[in-house]
Amino acid sequence: MIKLIEKIEGEAKLNFSFKDNKIDDVNVDFMSTRHIEDILKGKSPLDALVINPRVCGICGHAHLIATVRALEDCYDAIEISNKAKIIRELTLNFELIQNHFKWFYLTIFPLFGLKQNVMKAVTPSQLMAKAIALFGGQYPHTSYAIVGGVVCEITEMDIIKLQHYIDETIKFFENNVLDVDIQMFQNCDNVTKVMSQRGDLVEILKLIEINGWLDYGKSYDRFIVFGESSYFTKGKSIKTRVTNNLFLEDIKESEATTSFAKSVHYHGKYYEVGPLSRAMVKKTALIKDAHRKYADSIFTRILARVCEISQLLLHTELLIKELDISEPSYIKPKSDISSLNASGFSAVEAARGTLIHKVIIENSVIKSYEIITPTQWNLCGGVKDSKGVSQKAMIGLENIEIAELVFKSFDVCSVCTTH
Amino acid sequence: MKRKVRILWLGLMTCNGNAHSFLNYPYLEQFFSDFEFIYHPIIDSDYTLEDIISKEIFCDILLLEGAIGDDFIKADIPAVEIIKKYSNIATKIVTVGTCATFGGIFRESNYQNISGLHFKANERIYKFNDFFEKTISISGCPIHPETLVNTLYAIKKGIELNLDIYLRPKEYFAYTVHNGCTRNEYFEYKVDNHHFGELEGCMFYDHGCQGPFTHGSCNKILWNEINSKTRTGLPCLGCTEPSFPKQDLFNTKKNMGIPEYLPIGVPKRVYLTLAGITKAFTIDRLQKKLFND
Amino acid sequence: MSIDKKEQKKEQIMLASLHLFALKGFYNTTIPDIALSLKMSVGNMYNYFKSKDLLAKEIIKFVSSYFGQKIRDINEQEISTKEKTRKIVEVYFQTALIKPEMIDYFLRIYLSTREVFKDGCEGMICVNEFVTEIMIYFEEGVKCGDLRDQDFFNAFGLFMGYLGGMVFLKGENILPKELDEYIDDVSFNIYKALSV
Repeated sequence: MIKLIEKIEGEAKLNFSFKDNKIDDVNVDFMSTRHIEDILKGKSPLDALVINPRVCGICGHAHLIATVRALEDCYDAIEISNKAKIIRELTLNFELIQNHFKWFYLTIFPLFGLKQNVMKAVTPSQLMAKAIALFGGQYPHTSYAIVGGVVCEITEMDIIKLQHYIDETIKFFENNVLDVDIQMFQNCDNVTKVMSQRGDLVEILKLIEINGWLDYGKSYDRFIVFGESSYFTKGKSIKTRVTNNLFLEDIKESEATTSFAKSVHYHGKYYEVGPLSRAMVKKTALIKDAHRKYADSIFTRILARVCEISQLLLHTELLIKELDISEPSYIKPKSDISSLNASGFSAVEAARGTLIHKVIIENSVIKSYEIITPTQWNLCGGVKDSKGVSQKAMIGLENIEIAELVFKSFDVCSVCTTH
Repeated sequence: MKRKVRILWLGLMTCNGNAHSFLNYPYLEQFFSDFEFIYHPIIDSDYTLEDIISKEIFCDILLLEGAIGDDFIKADIPAVEIIKKYSNIATKIVTVGTCATFGGIFRESNYQNISGLHFKANERIYKFNDFFEKTISISGCPIHPETLVNTLYAIKKGIELNLDIYLRPKEYFAYTVHNGCTRNEYFEYKVDNHHFGELEGCMFYDHGCQGPFTHGSCNKILWNEINSKTRTGLPCLGCTEPSFPKQDLFNTKKNMGIPEYLPIGVPKRVYLTLAGITKAFTIDRLQKKLFND
Repeated sequence: MSIDKKEQKKEQIMLASLHLFALKGFYNTTIPDIALSLKMSVGNMYNYFKSKDLLAKEIIKFVSSYFGQKIRDINEQEISTKEKTRKIVEVYFQTALIKPEMIDYFLRIYLSTREVFKDGCEGMICVNEFVTEIMIYFEEGVKCGDLRDQDFFNAFGLFMGYLGGMVFLKGENILPKELDEYIDDVSFNIYKALSV
């Protein structure tokens, strides 16, 4: 039975087969591609900073940051000011936050029989977009992070403005998502305590409980995080055992036979990426508690994504304090990137998980460019005896509606996947 | 009560950037009391994409986002067929973004005959010629939300918009992106030592800014209500134009030191004469940092 | 007096001045000398030019405009960059031949008497018309693929330095042949040096 899944930044087709009234297998099919990697070939390396944000309208900024880091990785050594690094991290965090709000109110709400709440989605995400635009000039689709730093200069007044956007967003979170002081939520290590509060998050979590869905959506319980920042830690977690030595070279991408999404694995295994993975590797107390109780189910996955909003908002405030605006925003690289014959890698934590870019520059132009998106990690279709992460999470479910919820709990991005 | 205007938002070969930019419109609550989407790629609607494709659902305005290719398939149906069906139904068509208008970034993708609805870059194409008269183009990668929303209101009110040769409302596209840029003085007085990461300087001379020859209101109505690319120090990339994306975007194309592309409508002789005059003078204020003496 | 008439008279004064400057030198020529050569009263002269410095500036603009117009005519022709190069060299040498005082003024007075021109003739303002046309010649040459893209002043110095040098040598009576006999070789050399 085929179901067209819509409004996941595009569409995907799920082809289910049932056995004994349960989903026995499911094939995930993304039906088109846009050949961004081919479009980049032969272009001036810096043009990738303009093309790549256009991979995706909702997480294009992560693609920008991944691009600039991959390009900078082509140098043996390149100096980037601490200020530029912080600004880049800030804007990337803002994008994650706007994404999570949109996903929660636009995607998750309707799946629980609630009316999609556009205004609650856009109120905080517009604030976060403003916070990005303050540095980047606009959102979506800025290219303000360039090789050597960022193009903007900032003033104390800008920081005051920025603080307003953040404070307003925090207020929104406290007034709508979870009716507690955000700092208290940050320190909370017990799911039961969260469940005794009020707010849209609790409403959703309770519905999972009431509907008896606490067991749904479990997969391999294997998580991986490649992107590092002042907040996120690199590492993998397998059945709660965390190790931090990872090697980008061990990531393998292989062509899928039926879909435009290539499948991605690390050391031959599929891993989940995204906020749940980040929380597991970082050992965030609240998510660890949820995981202890409900493993890698939709409950934990949804909680982890929403929890990341408040964590990032608070962390952002710390980052701002570290900003030294007297540092340069941009340091001109000693040699022009077009003069290099080199390759570069980058891994960035995008809203949906690890995003990887690989570039090869030769004779002043891009010789090849490879992008591995978070959705590829989570949704790629596996083979018969080794299912992909989302496939595994859907197998055994009773109906397609629940399967769609499980599928969308990964926050699927079709456009990213079909780059 | 008057009925709401019914809109079909159809995503083609796209990144969804316009759909998300639209969500940045500051007065959406009001918008939704005047308009409804029979389908939208993000916002919930009464009909599913499968309904749209399998049935003929009435709509007043068709919004197209993304580039069109002859062999591009949308939910198992050639996109061209869906476009034709709803172009016939709708009273007005708006191409949302540079991809839907000119082909944009994805003009270079590997499909057959990739283009916008009526233009392949600046070349007029006739595949959908029957609908030319009812089309308005809102270019931009992405569109500015106000530009789109106010155009929809103009359609609702039955206003005959004054359009340019690419069917773009002149109200937004007669201006250049240069208009209103906070770095204007550095351009006017030819102070050409721009460095990234500074409040001062103009990106036109060395860093590829296309503001003076790009049509758009970026510096008039601002982005996210607060800023613009050129104000922050990023060159205008010409994203509203048929030629987007050009090559080597962070470098100004020059011939023997003279910029190949000059402000729209300004003859080379006039530009060079004025440049020669202003370049002869040193304006202290514009040589110094804005805030430090 | 009509504006046209006044302009005509001004031009007459400038031409006479050019002649005298070339003959006696810039500093040795006075406003009364110029007035005398035109059979004008000194007082009347001042109706046209308030000072010798102002006159000097007007003259360089006049010379620049003269060349600018000539090169503009060449730029607007549908011919190759190679042919344009030859025509510009030709115009320059022809002028040196027919109106040597013009080139003389540019080389010996404008370029070497900067104190007179520093106020009001900053940078290349007073030779703007001429420089603009040379820019257009270069720009179009690069755009159509004939000339190599390089720094403007690099190319400008090569072109104008070479022509000025030849005229200077001629003025010093060092050149064995007439200037127009050098047109072919000089344009060949310039084009060869500038082309891709």
